[in-house]
Amino acid sequence: MIKIENLTFWYEDAATPAVREVSLEIEDGEFVLITGPSGGGKSTLCRCLNGLIPHFYGGRITGRVEVNGLDITRHSTPELAAKVGMIFQDPENQLVAVDAEREIAFGMENLAFPGELIAKRMEESLDTLGISAIRHRRMQELSGGEKQKVVIASVLALHPGILVLDEPTSELDPGSAEEVLTAVGRLNDELGLTVILVEHRLDRVAQHADRLIVLSKGAVIADGSPRSVLGGDKISDTGVGLPPIISLARRLRERGIGSGETPLTVKEGRMALGKVFQSRFGLSRGGSAPAAPPEPPNHHPLIEIKKLWHAYPGGRVALRDINLSLYEGEFIAVMGRNASGKTTLVKHINGLLKPTKGDVTVGGINTREATIAELARKVGFVFQNPNDHLFADTVEEEIAFTLKNFGFNGKEAAARVDEMLERFNLGEYRKHYPRSLSGGEKQRVALASVMAAHPRILILDEPTRGMEYRLKRELMEFLGDYRRHGGAVILVTHDVETVAEHADRVLLLSEGRLVVCGSRREVLSGALLFSPQINRLVQAFEGYGVPGDILTADEVLEMLG
Amino acid sequence: MMTGFRYKDSDTAIHRLNPFCKLLWMANILLFALIFNNPVYLLALFLATLPLVAAARLGKEWLSVMKLTLYLGIAIVLINMLVSYHGTHILFEAPFRLPVAGVPTITLEAAFFGAAMSLRLALIISAFAVINFTVHPDDLLLAMIKMKLPYKSVLVTSLSTRFIPALVEDAQCLSDVQRSRGLELDRGSLGQKIRSRMAIVIPLLSNSLDRTVQLAEAMESRAFGSGRKRTFYKPIRFAGRDVLALTVGFLAAALGIFMRLWGYGDYQYYPTLGGIGAGALEWSLLGLVVLLLLSGVFLAVGRSEAGLD
Repeated sequence: MIKIENLTFWYEDAATPAVREVSLEIEDGEFVLITGPSGGGKSTLCRCLNGLIPHFYGGRITGRVEVNGLDITRHSTPELAAKVGMIFQDPENQLVAVDAEREIAFGMENLAFPGELIAKRMEESLDTLGISAIRHRRMQELSGGEKQKVVIASVLALHPGILVLDEPTSELDPGSAEEVLTAVGRLNDELGLTVILVEHRLDRVAQHADRLIVLSKGAVIADGSPRSVLGGDKISDTGVGLPPIISLARRLRERGIGSGETPLTVKEGRMALGKVFQSRFGLSRGGSAPAAPPEPPNHHPLIEIKKLWHAYPGGRVALRDINLSLYEGEFIAVMGRNASGKTTLVKHINGLLKPTKGDVTVGGINTREATIAELARKVGFVFQNPNDHLFADTVEEEIAFTLKNFGFNGKEAAARVDEMLERFNLGEYRKHYPRSLSGGEKQRVALASVMAAHPRILILDEPTRGMEYRLKRELMEFLGDYRRHGGAVILVTHDVETVAEHADRVLLLSEGRLVVCGSRREVLSGALLFSPQINRLVQAFEGYGVPGDILTADEVLEMLG
Repeated sequence: MMTGFRYKDSDTAIHRLNPFCKLLWMANILLFALIFNNPVYLLALFLATLPLVAAARLGKEWLSVMKLTLYLGIAIVLINMLVSYHGTHILFEAPFRLPVAGVPTITLEAAFFGAAMSLRLALIISAFAVINFTVHPDDLLLAMIKMKLPYKSVLVTSLSTRFIPALVEDAQCLSDVQRSRGLELDRGSLGQKIRSRMAIVIPLLSNSLDRTVQLAEAMESRAFGSGRKRTFYKPIRFAGRDVLALTVGFLAAALGIFMRLWGYGDYQYYPTLGGIGAGALEWSLLGLVVLLLLSGVFLAVGRSEAGLD
């Protein structure tokens, strides 16, 4: 059992506490989901549960945290390790050994378990997570999800009663994320472990959790069953992203349609909405016909890719015969499994990679004949981790750096820096050190530094992975504005819900081939797991005449009038 | 190269071998490569690494490493021919004179010395390749701990080698990011080049620091530093055969040193090549050294308990 009384904690040199006056009691065997905006204190709270705070981080702590009766200020993290297992975001940064078995043994070796016990627990934890097939594999060869499961197994082998997971899936692709979350659900369900899980993707886990806690600005804003919290009023002020089904149900309730229940899964949503559709449409097949695919504009394309092949040194063929055109103002989403060639494809557009065969033409220039710097004036490229963009001493210099690369100096450069600071709302951080800003602010600085060159094409490589809802919305608003001014957007992503709302066209790559390229309706509707939540929901009602290509909550509401 | 030259998992007798036997074997080869000059000795020792390469089924990897070594060897021979003017058998003489160095000449002796040095290099690289491809990095770590090196230092060493591929990948990504922002890494004066490299180096350092802090947190959370005396999941076990093999390995070392002290194994390259001819006793002793060297490995092969797997 975990008992937190009046916990307030300041990191070293911080003026405001990271968590303030938090009091919680968590019973054995509970599955607690913690969510909230970034900087809300989620990670800080997790670190208090195994003594990383205060022992590793220092800082100032008041109040009390007791784990199974042990006061965390008096027991060190290694001592607590056998009581509280802790799993972090990036599996890459938690690995110490070369192969899976030795990784799992690491914790047990540290606690000086005798050899026989290690061997026994090894088998146990391998089986619990279903990873015995990869026990002899090298960690570097494993997928992100497999790595994370090995880390979980290594923690589990110590038999902790409590498992704390701090955004364990934010670095994983959706398939791996699902696997890890399912495994965690089983640990709680079958082994009775107390699970404390920090997650943004509520649609995947809300149904497994007994309790949902929303942390914002260091304080507990809401605490209750996921259904009551997600259906309640407090959540809408916090900027926490609601799964589309829940937000649809809430909006229907506002309009007095339906039963007012809060569905947590697609199935529950289908049950709740079934009656609504039945009463509205009966069995008459009256739905609107699917919208015609958008016609390609007849002016010249901004980007033309013709018969593009790419092979990496060493011979691995990453792209096979890709043909594609992109027009002004278009928003294209590039989707596909890991290693399907998404990033390889977009790196051809700004010349980071050159075609092995075929041609890529950007704004009339063949990329073979241009340097990256020349292409960079036309094509902005935002990478996944904003940290990778940032190195200057101030936000201002960071933006000016790009301009200097393009030969802007003096007044013109200064004017553009001011323009970017204003556009991205960064004026007050002008003199701040970019890397010490919050996640959302860093993203804006990275964007500003790329946009300063006024590119007509903007490529974003998985910018929303692990990103909270509010920041995602900010980013999408910016992209919408950019397109209205004639810019074209290429978004590499796994995020089906974002694509469903914003993309004009969707490309689906598989093993380097362009499998499908069509309007978002064609590509995203009617697929089994690939479809957005709302589409999976409405697919069941096609018989009532509900169009099968509805993708978002907005469209459902529009249809219901 | 970065990722190619490292442990390769497969299940051969050499892979399963006690790492100490393999490490002693490599130490012996290094020792002999340094104390013996005679090209016949070097060739014999080089050939003596081949049975291990074959037994560990490393043919392909070994060949690719040897290909690089061959280029390096050719370079060594050429450079030695061009810069070393000693030797009496002149193959070519320049029609001019350099200050201090004298008349540039290419001599048979210089070519032969270069070739012998290349052979010495190939011998060392071949031995390293076997160890690199067949000793599991974690076993190397355990072996070092067994040799009473402090665990924490050994772990830090092993972690930092593990971080290198991540670092290379990170640097590649950062270079992509900055080049996409119009940075031209290879333009301008040296000063400018250094300054543009900073756009990659600074985030690289910050990222590594973040990574290190995260790893430290994760390790403490898994009871690292609990203060107890660690146990090991797969300790290195010594069977009777291993002890025998190690003893034989040390015998090989002792015999080699004895031979060198007795005056064997030296060779005269300059000013004229010495004769290879030596007595039957010397050849028999060399044969014995090679035999002991190989026995030091193969005696330990096939221990049934296979303590490492």
